[in-house]
Amino acid sequence: MEKQDSKLKHQAVFRCREGVFAARRPRAFVSFGSGLALLLCGWLSEPTLAESVAKNGRQPGAPMAETQRGFLGEHCERCHGREKQKGSFRVDDLNLAIGDAQTAERWQKVLNAVNSGEMPPEDEKQPGRDAKLEFLEELQESMVVARRMLADQGGASIARRLNRREYRNTVQALLGVSLDVNELPADGGLGSFDTNALSLLMSGDQFEQYHALALDALNEVHARRSAPEKRYYSRVEGESRLEVVRKSLQERLDQRRRYMRWVHAVDEAGRRPENQPILQELRAKKHPEEPYRSWEKIQGAPPPSEYGFVDFTRARHEGEGHWALVPFLSYYVSQPDSQRGAFLTPGDNAACNSVDLGVGGWPAGQYIVRVRVGAVEGSPARRRFLEFGRRILGRYTVTSSHEVTGTLKEPQVLEIPVDLRGNEERHFYVAERGCLDDDTQGNRKYFAGVRDNGVGPDLVLWVDWLEMESVPAAGALVGSELERAGIPIAALGNQELPAAELRAGLERFSELAFRGSKPSTAFVERLLKMYEGHRAGGKKPGEALRQIFAVVLASPRFLYLSEPAPEKGRRKLSGTELASRLSYFLWGAPPDEELRGLGASEELAKPEVLGAQVRRLLDDRRSRDFVVPFTHQWLGMDRLNFFQFNGDKYPDFDLCVKNAARQEVYETVGQLLEENGSLQELLKSSHVTVNALMADYYGLPGVTGDNFRKVPVPPDSARGGLLGMAAVLAMGSNGEHTSPVDRGAWVLRKLVHAPTPPAPPNVPQLARLEGKLLTTRERLVSHQEEPQCANCHRKIDPIGFGLENFDAAGRWRTEDRYEYPGKGEKKWVIDPAGAFHNGPAFKDYHELRDLIAARQDDFARGFAEAFCEYALGRPYGFSDEPLVDAILERARPAGYPVREFVLGLVQSETFRTK
Amino acid sequence: MNAPQNRRKFLRTAGTLLALPALESAGFRRFVRAAEPGLPPKRVVFLGIGYGVTQETWFASLQEPGVSYTLPDGLRPLERHRHSFSIVQGVCNKLSAEAHWGSTYWLTGANRYGDGSGGMHNSISADQVAASVLGRDTRFASLQLNGSDPDLSGPGHGTGLSLAWDVRGKPMAGVNSPVALFHKLFSADSLPLEQRQAALREKRSILDAVGEEVSDLKRGLNRRDHEKLDEYFQGIREIELRMGREEKWLDVPKPAAPLREPGAGLMGVEEVKLMYDLLVAAFQTDSTRVATYRQPISNLLKSLSIKVAPHDMSHYSIGERMDASQKRDRVQSELLVGFLDRLEAEKDAAGRSLLDNTVVVFGSNLRTVHTLENCPTLVAGRGAGLKLGHNLVVSRNTPLCNVWLTLLRGLGLDLERHGDSSGVLKELIA
Repeated sequence: MEKQDSKLKHQAVFRCREGVFAARRPRAFVSFGSGLALLLCGWLSEPTLAESVAKNGRQPGAPMAETQRGFLGEHCERCHGREKQKGSFRVDDLNLAIGDAQTAERWQKVLNAVNSGEMPPEDEKQPGRDAKLEFLEELQESMVVARRMLADQGGASIARRLNRREYRNTVQALLGVSLDVNELPADGGLGSFDTNALSLLMSGDQFEQYHALALDALNEVHARRSAPEKRYYSRVEGESRLEVVRKSLQERLDQRRRYMRWVHAVDEAGRRPENQPILQELRAKKHPEEPYRSWEKIQGAPPPSEYGFVDFTRARHEGEGHWALVPFLSYYVSQPDSQRGAFLTPGDNAACNSVDLGVGGWPAGQYIVRVRVGAVEGSPARRRFLEFGRRILGRYTVTSSHEVTGTLKEPQVLEIPVDLRGNEERHFYVAERGCLDDDTQGNRKYFAGVRDNGVGPDLVLWVDWLEMESVPAAGALVGSELERAGIPIAALGNQELPAAELRAGLERFSELAFRGSKPSTAFVERLLKMYEGHRAGGKKPGEALRQIFAVVLASPRFLYLSEPAPEKGRRKLSGTELASRLSYFLWGAPPDEELRGLGASEELAKPEVLGAQVRRLLDDRRSRDFVVPFTHQWLGMDRLNFFQFNGDKYPDFDLCVKNAARQEVYETVGQLLEENGSLQELLKSSHVTVNALMADYYGLPGVTGDNFRKVPVPPDSARGGLLGMAAVLAMGSNGEHTSPVDRGAWVLRKLVHAPTPPAPPNVPQLARLEGKLLTTRERLVSHQEEPQCANCHRKIDPIGFGLENFDAAGRWRTEDRYEYPGKGEKKWVIDPAGAFHNGPAFKDYHELRDLIAARQDDFARGFAEAFCEYALGRPYGFSDEPLVDAILERARPAGYPVREFVLGLVQSETFRTK
Repeated sequence: MNAPQNRRKFLRTAGTLLALPALESAGFRRFVRAAEPGLPPKRVVFLGIGYGVTQETWFASLQEPGVSYTLPDGLRPLERHRHSFSIVQGVCNKLSAEAHWGSTYWLTGANRYGDGSGGMHNSISADQVAASVLGRDTRFASLQLNGSDPDLSGPGHGTGLSLAWDVRGKPMAGVNSPVALFHKLFSADSLPLEQRQAALREKRSILDAVGEEVSDLKRGLNRRDHEKLDEYFQGIREIELRMGREEKWLDVPKPAAPLREPGAGLMGVEEVKLMYDLLVAAFQTDSTRVATYRQPISNLLKSLSIKVAPHDMSHYSIGERMDASQKRDRVQSELLVGFLDRLEAEKDAAGRSLLDNTVVVFGSNLRTVHTLENCPTLVAGRGAGLKLGHNLVVSRNTPLCNVWLTLLRGLGLDLERHGDSSGVLKELIA
């Protein structure tokens, strides 16, 4: 007994010391053979928790090391033990194995108290640094494992509500109408995917919203189908801006003339002998404007109001301030090309910082925006990007950016498709990129031009016209799916249907909306009765029909993805159910006709048919609704929205680049999926997937156009792979400075599958160092002082330091500096060298990236886990390990081609059973 | 076939008294005797600010407990009301570890992992506990107000639809603009009574139809899925309950508005002022006795021409960000003092100052940056017999729910605990 204990203890300590770079323990019992069996032979008995955990490093439910008891005994039990229970809390009877929620809660209290330094109390004996470090590390890791174990769902898939984007896509697929779903509560963002059944809640308010939205959508179907398609068209000519600019110029010139006359009159009065003493007094203040500010003291000086100014302040503002813009406005007005179009100018300077088009009152639907645009030849590439967006509540909001390759002689016409939804604001604009991000960005560029040449920035972008038009015949697509399914679409208008047809139509509509499952008879009866009621109450047939269809779209079989299940055991999904699961996974939308057909005929059950459908779905454009939400959530990219970047420090990282940088990540993953590339490419790659804007940002020559494509990078380039992407690096900053901690933690979490426990709250900021001029390293070294910090930061921080050659906006740098108001600044050369905790050392970023790239097995496991979590709609649990093992077994031999992950999952029994 | 009928009948007879599962707030069965006739109505309002405050300049010194403390800069605008409020220092929601969520657990004290499912867990909020008693005789059992920020449920406040969480721990929706609130409170329904009754009947039949569907669907599902679909079922039930109340008030005309209809599109400072005015009006007309307000953050900053983004501000260091944080603190205090002025000045039906029978709570689950300990907690008003005018320093890490329990009991609720409370906060009782 004694011996065994000490062995256990030894193991635990070993585990503790493993560090993040230690190789994973070999996974016993999983051979290639068993993985194959799982794939080909079908039914395996459900893996028990014990089986699945036997393969993993830390076992769920396994007791912590006995040393934990020793720590508690020495530091806690005198007050929280058998004799005395301060705060009604005792630790002497705590189980070292965390097997249930109560035990977990009690240990969590211990963890919080020790972490925050609350316990042991200050006046008690304090544990040694190493002892505390070891205690916390062991406990934190056990807590992570325990939480995961307690949340394990035993591999069961749970019914879940459609999330917000799936709901939007489903209505779109069914009715052909694009809804504005922003008023529905956003899903996800709770640290899990937006497909997680447990986090997709429902409330009465939400029910009412679904019902109202459904009615809106059906009314839109009716409106667009019944009215003859009307063409909507609006255009604004660039030169229409000229009159505005000219007027503004005239006004300024007039103000200047009046101001100068007033100044002259004051001077004149000042020359009178009786005014000399006061003038001397005013001049003594050594401010040239003093005589004018105090004009009242000068006898005979006329008031500014005589010259049309409210007072001195206004006179000075209008006569001097406004005058400052005159050279630029004159320059603008004098350009021949301003007579036939509009130059887009940076700055809030009364010239033309945007060309706007408002189409208030236009109905929802599909439209196209066109802009005829050119750039002055020879102008800098960086400024030849047009920004397009919407004005929402008075704020300019970028939606896309476009490289301008046309010239003033030969402008190009850009086409931008736009969906108008619900009651969204209908105001669009074009501008030079990054000039409207906030109030200061455009002005910064304007004044840089003024400093440069005394007039203002060079004119670069020129817009001939901006127009918007409805897409012809788009209305015909609305409701076409219903028509194909034999639902009397015309009846949504005002056609009276015979009773039998009404019933049949309602049943068909319900079945289509319910993805193949049938409504209950009682439901249909009630809806028909409701229809009668509406008719009796004076509603027209079409209106009554829309009312009852709206109820169908608010009912549970529509809003929930659910499959009937036996109370015990598993059953194979029907073809129809499988079709749904597949399309919501890869499209975030219901199955299309082809998939529905294959489901209904059970053809889909055949592996080769299923495989072919997976490929078809992935090749379809709709798979973006998998790529984007999955990538965004997997990599935690919401962090990119947390911070606003300091435009003075990072002028090139404007909102256009920020959006493109975000898109680069999606496009890279999309590209991989498209060509079935290796997952490894995300760790290190000889290519990047960029458009002209990102290529310009990265300094890669020869890329033109707005579409993202694969571009080779030189072998010594820092780019290629997630670590070199501006979006990833920017997420590891606060918009001002880099955050090595966030970067390091992200690498551990997302790339090498060695996440540190979540950061504890209540950790004080490093206020002690506030106001000191230190390098980033010097500041962060204090993390190593306190054991409760050191236990994670010794793993995190070195990786972050290795990425310090990238600034907050992801640009390469070799120096960094820290400025402190009133204390000056400190500059230093970046030292990226470091080592993984208990692991290999690296001398720079390139070596760090190579070390990370060598851990492709860990990366693949993390990816597969996230992938299963997303697809199965539940937190990844220990009982999902055999599934992930099998997927990895299948993908590894070929070097992890990404489609193998999809196929491995979709063809697994887990995915195909309820 | 009769199931929905029976369900409704049950709900009607039970009135607004929910059949409550055993939840974090215990002692519900004894509520019945809490509201004694003849006593003036008690009211409570919770004002949540999301991100915490500037810790250097908002909190009074821990070395100056009691009445003669120096009001720190962030609270200085409240000077003229210093005897109407207390700040409580040392409390926190110990079970919450979400460093960006200032509102999600503020009034509930729940543990996110509480039900062990790995999903998001929450429990009933203090305002809803109050509403289950104080809300019985008013048109609205409670009001939930929200700021106009488009991303109000993001970092700062955290997930949720308002500060309120219902008896099942599900988020409750709120009103997002002063105009909408004005109409809810005062706009007369122009439809004739029969038409409104017909609309209610119509709504009922929709609920019956989908209720039918959900029962049918659940029949084939296993236990887990059953529970999931039950959320839908409960949602419908919730609307039915609401309709029961609506029906009761159907023929009672709404009160005349004591203020003008606010203009649309106001944001930030103006919006908060209006919401405060409307809250005063709601209390004055006894339209409700319980309210929460999840206040705007980004629009507040914008209206003050502060360029720093909210999350940046919360990570302040000396300079522009800290200036922004401090300015925000001061403005919030100025707005709050205006609200207290109004409550003091306005009289209820019996001619007493509203503040005599109202409790105003102001604060957040977040102290500052990512710290949850000693979260900003300010209680004002004489409605719950609380000790006012004090800088109350209680022992470190006292559950915030002890404050809620104390004031709920002070409001007349016979309650044993709320959230993770360990008892009443004796120091807070006058």
